[in-house]
Amino acid sequence: MKVLAILPDFIPQEEVKRTVAQIMPEIEITNTTEFPKSDADVLIVTTFTIVDKNLIDRMPNLKFVQVASTGYDSVDVDYLKMKGIMLSNIPTANKQSVAEHVIAMTLVFLKDMINLNEELKVHHRWPMLTGSRDLEGKIFGIVGMGMIGIQLAKRLMPFNVGIVYYDIRRLPPDEEEKYGLTYMDFNDLLKNSDIISIHLPLTEKTRKMFGEKEFSMMKDGAIFINTARGEIVDENALVNAMKKKNIKVGIDVYEKEPPDFNSEIFKMDDAIFSPHIAGVTIESQQRFLTETISNVLRYVQGLEPLYRVI
Amino acid sequence: MKGAQIFANVLDDLDLYPIFGNPGTTELPSLRNIKNYVLTLHDSISVGMADGLAQYTGKPKTVNLHTLPGLANSMAFIYTAKMNHTPIVITAGQQDMRHMVLEPLLYYNLESVIADAVKYKYELRTTDDISIALKRAKIIAQTPPMGPVFISMPMNIMDGEGNYQKINDYAFSNDLINNESVKLIADKLMSAKNPAIVFGYEIDMFNAFKEAEEFTDKLGCPVYGEPLSSRAVFNTSNKRFAGDLLPGSTLINLMLINNDLILFIGGDFTLYPYLPSPVLPGKDLIFVGLNIAPKLGEFYQMNPKLFLREIVKIIEKKCDYSRPKDLTFATKIANERSSMGFNYVISQAKKQFSDYTVVDEAISASYTVRNIFGYGPGKYFTAKSGQLGWGLPAASGIGMVNDKILLIIGDGSFMYTLQTLWTVKKFRIPLKAIVLRNNAYNILKSFAKSYYPDMENAPFLSFELNIEKIANSFGIDSMVAGKDLKELEWLREGNDAKVLVVDVDKTVPKLFL
Repeated sequence: MKVLAILPDFIPQEEVKRTVAQIMPEIEITNTTEFPKSDADVLIVTTFTIVDKNLIDRMPNLKFVQVASTGYDSVDVDYLKMKGIMLSNIPTANKQSVAEHVIAMTLVFLKDMINLNEELKVHHRWPMLTGSRDLEGKIFGIVGMGMIGIQLAKRLMPFNVGIVYYDIRRLPPDEEEKYGLTYMDFNDLLKNSDIISIHLPLTEKTRKMFGEKEFSMMKDGAIFINTARGEIVDENALVNAMKKKNIKVGIDVYEKEPPDFNSEIFKMDDAIFSPHIAGVTIESQQRFLTETISNVLRYVQGLEPLYRVI
Repeated sequence: MKGAQIFANVLDDLDLYPIFGNPGTTELPSLRNIKNYVLTLHDSISVGMADGLAQYTGKPKTVNLHTLPGLANSMAFIYTAKMNHTPIVITAGQQDMRHMVLEPLLYYNLESVIADAVKYKYELRTTDDISIALKRAKIIAQTPPMGPVFISMPMNIMDGEGNYQKINDYAFSNDLINNESVKLIADKLMSAKNPAIVFGYEIDMFNAFKEAEEFTDKLGCPVYGEPLSSRAVFNTSNKRFAGDLLPGSTLINLMLINNDLILFIGGDFTLYPYLPSPVLPGKDLIFVGLNIAPKLGEFYQMNPKLFLREIVKIIEKKCDYSRPKDLTFATKIANERSSMGFNYVISQAKKQFSDYTVVDEAISASYTVRNIFGYGPGKYFTAKSGQLGWGLPAASGIGMVNDKILLIIGDGSFMYTLQTLWTVKKFRIPLKAIVLRNNAYNILKSFAKSYYPDMENAPFLSFELNIEKIANSFGIDSMVAGKDLKELEWLREGNDAKVLVVDVDKTVPKLFL
């Protein structure tokens, strides 16, 4: 069985090849989709590779696509489905990293890090007053209680915060109890939360889920964090909310990546940014690699792969 | 008719059975014709059981104590009944009057011993006194302020001959109301800028929950529970309920800092420990109730149920208070799971026992028990006096008529009156007990942490107890709970008495401040 892996340029391919050679020597690794044809049965891609009709049609033997990430919106799922090709993602490898990233962004705002850092480093001043606040006792709203939402809740528990959540599917009572979660409808979550973090997939229902109306319901000065997908948020509405309600914003994902740096949001004081790397850490990449190879090996052995999307 | 027979007949006539006691030779002449005697293995337990049963049923109950030792053994319980305003007719044997002058064995002036703890005390002089004294005792016990009464019964009087005529039990009413006072209080309430209401134990005693809610819903102002209430004070699920006041003066003042008029209905404030702040300085304080004897402010003696029924007709909406939901509570419970903190343990217990009446003598966890179980009619009882050892007998007394009775008690408290388990077994009382074991008098450690830190780890504040074996030795099933508390299901199953020991978090918090 032939396996083709398409990895982006920034991943050290020689190093990956050396490692993979010890496990799956027959794997072919490339950094481009610009090949005329491939007879591989299995395709491994990251979220940076577009798996569309054009690519799929050039792989007539393809039976299984393994995306080495949580998100798979770079894949034409409908076309794969039509062709009867299986698709799996790796939803488990970076959830811890995203959860930590969200908490880091939250603490940057609560602890007034940007301002304090600037006072000392830029202005060489020693401020006596602080706007620093504690996370303890705050109400943390999680929109989307999937694997990342659960990981976030687990990490928030020791901070003694109130954790409220909204999801189209409510967790069983024993799960809610275990993680100290209080379920709320979406509007109540917006009104009650001091911090809101999104952990939803991008679907037609979640596209622009956060607009003028939703931001108007939030508390003044609330912290809003998006590490899910840029398209879930109406950026203009977000900028308006930052101006009118002093909403503080942590953004990891953008409608277009890389984003337009002339956009007004990059001029706002109370905003911090990261380049869609909430789930990308040295440790998470290692986990992705391990999980991806394990799942492909599982398939090659004739077993049902884990994390089937279709 | 013999005195003993008259005594038995009058208990029947006045609906004063059962009689709880632990007899000695001195009492045997009185008990020859007794029909319904509940033996307890220590005198004090009989008072505690009668207290619980009388409070729960709203009817006076009877106790027979063994002259001076029995009376002295029971003094803390009699004092508690006084503080709880429980109508209990306490009887005790006395030496034969014909040689009292020679101060025989077991003789003492019993009335002097019990003097300040009861409302009425009388030593029988003739056998004819029995009917009259018992009837008076019952009436006085039920007259506000309600409380225990005492009759001393010399051996020769109970052996003697006297007259008996059947006594018709009387219809007792506490329907005291004064419409002028109601109007006056309503006017003050309407003129105040920001009033608050404090409900006390009389709301449960006079079954005034419905009236209290109607009044509160119409007025709209925040409602508090009196500090350390001995019974349920209000429906805690009502959005106007802002919580229980704490017993320190500073703490009360802080909770009511924005209110200019405080209306206490059926309750009062109880203080402990001493804090230097004066109590509610500069506030208008009004107290309404039947039993209470307030120390400050104005007092109007009225039945709280009737008062609420009348005042609701003449007040208007004054505020729109709504208790904010504590959204951190679920996290608190989840975080306490591994350490077996009170919030986790009690919230799990509530899942199994939310329809039970709770008797609470888990002193360190009491605030959590009240907060999580909440209050409802006939659903919560504790000792107003602060004594330990009351909970087990009181719960057992209630358990004689209520098969859904749950005792939540600390390991230290449990040891004071553990012989109650014999009576529980003997009379098949379906008592379910959760013993929170922290191997210490944690409330003392908390107090030490706040005021005398050098005392927190004093060796005489800690102990190790094998509660489960102790319960087993009385023939009571017992288990030690695991971390997931699945044994709570076992505890609830069936009508047999059971004891569940829960090893709880030993962390010592500060006491209030």
